[in-house]
Amino acid sequence: MKDNEHTARPIVEVRGLRKYFESTRGLLRKTVGTVKAVDDVSFTINEGETLALVGESGCGKTTTGRCMIRAVEPTDGKILYSLDNGNPVDITSLSKEAVRRLRRKIRLVFQDPYSSLNPRMTVFQIIAEPLIINKLIKGTGAARDRVAELLRMVRLDPSLMDRYPHAFSGGQRQRIAIARALAPNPRFLIADEPVSALDVSVQAQVLNLLKELQHKLEGLTYLFVAHNLSVVKYQSDRIAIMYVGKIVELAETEQLFTQPLHPYTEALIAAAPEPDPRVARTKKRVVLAGDVANPADPPSGCYFHPRCPYAREICRTTEPELRNLGTPEQPRSVACHFAHELSLQGIQ
Amino acid sequence: MTDNGNVLTVRNLKTHFFSREGTLKAIDGVDFELKPGEVLGIAGESGCGKSVTAQSILRILPKHGRTVDGEVLLSRNGAAVDLLTLDEEGPEIRRIRGKEIAMIFQEPMTSFSPVHTIGNQIIESIRLHNRGLSKREARARAIDMLHRVGMPNPASTIDEYPFNLSGGMRQRAMIAMALSCGPRVLIADEPTTAVDVTIQAQVLELLKELQGQLGMAVIMITHDLGVIAELADRVLIMYLGKGVEFGTVEQIFHNPLHPYTRGLLASIPKLTRGREVIEPIQGTVPSPYDPLTGCPFNPRCAHRMAGVCDLEMPEVVEVEEGHRVACHLYPKDAQT
Repeated sequence: MKDNEHTARPIVEVRGLRKYFESTRGLLRKTVGTVKAVDDVSFTINEGETLALVGESGCGKTTTGRCMIRAVEPTDGKILYSLDNGNPVDITSLSKEAVRRLRRKIRLVFQDPYSSLNPRMTVFQIIAEPLIINKLIKGTGAARDRVAELLRMVRLDPSLMDRYPHAFSGGQRQRIAIARALAPNPRFLIADEPVSALDVSVQAQVLNLLKELQHKLEGLTYLFVAHNLSVVKYQSDRIAIMYVGKIVELAETEQLFTQPLHPYTEALIAAAPEPDPRVARTKKRVVLAGDVANPADPPSGCYFHPRCPYAREICRTTEPELRNLGTPEQPRSVACHFAHELSLQGIQ
Repeated sequence: MTDNGNVLTVRNLKTHFFSREGTLKAIDGVDFELKPGEVLGIAGESGCGKSVTAQSILRILPKHGRTVDGEVLLSRNGAAVDLLTLDEEGPEIRRIRGKEIAMIFQEPMTSFSPVHTIGNQIIESIRLHNRGLSKREARARAIDMLHRVGMPNPASTIDEYPFNLSGGMRQRAMIAMALSCGPRVLIADEPTTAVDVTIQAQVLELLKELQGQLGMAVIMITHDLGVIAELADRVLIMYLGKGVEFGTVEQIFHNPLHPYTRGLLASIPKLTRGREVIEPIQGTVPSPYDPLTGCPFNPRCAHRMAGVCDLEMPEVVEVEEGHRVACHLYPKDAQT
């Protein structure tokens, strides 16, 4: 939330997270290269806020989210999660059993509600499963009451709980997935592109539902992984922009959009198609040349320099650090050698 | 038949799919006209029939689909041929496909064969439509086309296989192939949905530029109203197989009439300053198999008039010049 800067309590602190994938070849699986999918990523998420991870395909946003519940084993780094009693634990050093217990509190919602729900289970079974596995509820009656309550929470008719997923549309399935995620009363939800597979007219329903739930369930925190800038702007309090495994800019939503500090952020804002012909036809276009860098063979220096219209000599040789350019009240960070002198264009 | 200066006129198009589960009315009454050199955007959600519209025009429907009614008039030398009357596999439609009306797809890998180089495939299409052109001449033209779509080192890239190219480059190669025979109409079916935003911006800029240079008309099929706002001159909004509103891009975005168009515009977040509120459309798109009488949007419509909207399909009414809508809120007799 906007107004809790004084009371902001971090729920998760990610420090120097790395995930390298080895690419192998041949029978002996000889390592031929390393893909740095996530490369030294650090950020903090405060209780009750929505932080978005944004970037193009292959930038490492999904892998970052998965590392946070050890669905993918991180190569290096710390993920400090503050428990209900306020004590921090490092998720990366927990035992398998402890991770399993933690997955009650940290939940995932996936992109495609057609493949994330088991077609052979009824809605009741799908939503009650995390309750039963974690022994959070006893007896079918109590389970049905809880599932009914969860279905009402996501605005679905509880009388439909004995039907199978195929009877539901994409938007309704995503509500079922959200109800399942919320079943064990989590504190932290990682939503990985939760609306990209849905129809335009239904996306808004799910976005508004997520907002409403955060309002209702006090302290519910979101990590929102997405590529669509307008959706992210609508949904998040702060935004981290990722490019080839690294965070290049992290700022409060309004600030990021009105005064971007990284050239990549500027380009993303300019590239987002605006559903207003008057705006779309007058806005300044920065069309980036070339493709996203290959994470298996990234360029030297700043990974963005081959596409950057402002690149100079130092960008080719030296990698810029993510540094704080904000005020103590409004921290913001950017990884660009010239962030302080470029005057980049945001939204008008 | 006259062509009224339109390069393509689609009248009352109906395409149905026949299967054991019943008849699926994928398109059930679509009308639009395309003027030479303009961009027509067709927008709608999945299942609204926008892609089937393109397939019906080119007569490339899947086996169980059939166009049961309507006209697709392509103007040729002042006269018009109805593409629906041509033999689906006859020589005439084959001369039109690729030569006069070309198409690009969402996933470039579907338009290229993986076992031939992009050059050979572009050259094949050039020579098919230009008999008498030597291989060497066709190759020169293909290289020129690759150059025009911004392919780096076209003279060597021409001998690459599609899988060696990045997503953006493949998209460019596909556009080069589609434009290699100088079509008068280009149908682009979700050309930027599978690529990243920065690549999407490149492809849209490229299409704009080429359209200006070559003067072809474009039908841009997309679910992204942002893409429509950037490119289209006129817009057709489709819902459940029906064209519900048609007008200039200004009319559609700044004076939308149909409750569905209004709902769509209100439900997408925009990149404007400050916090905004988005209003979702209630409910979901019903299954096209479900029987639905009256206006297809009536179960979700906030302005639904019981006894009218759920019984009768509204007629298409021209509310202002060039702005047509099919909705009972705009009754025919109110017009003069």
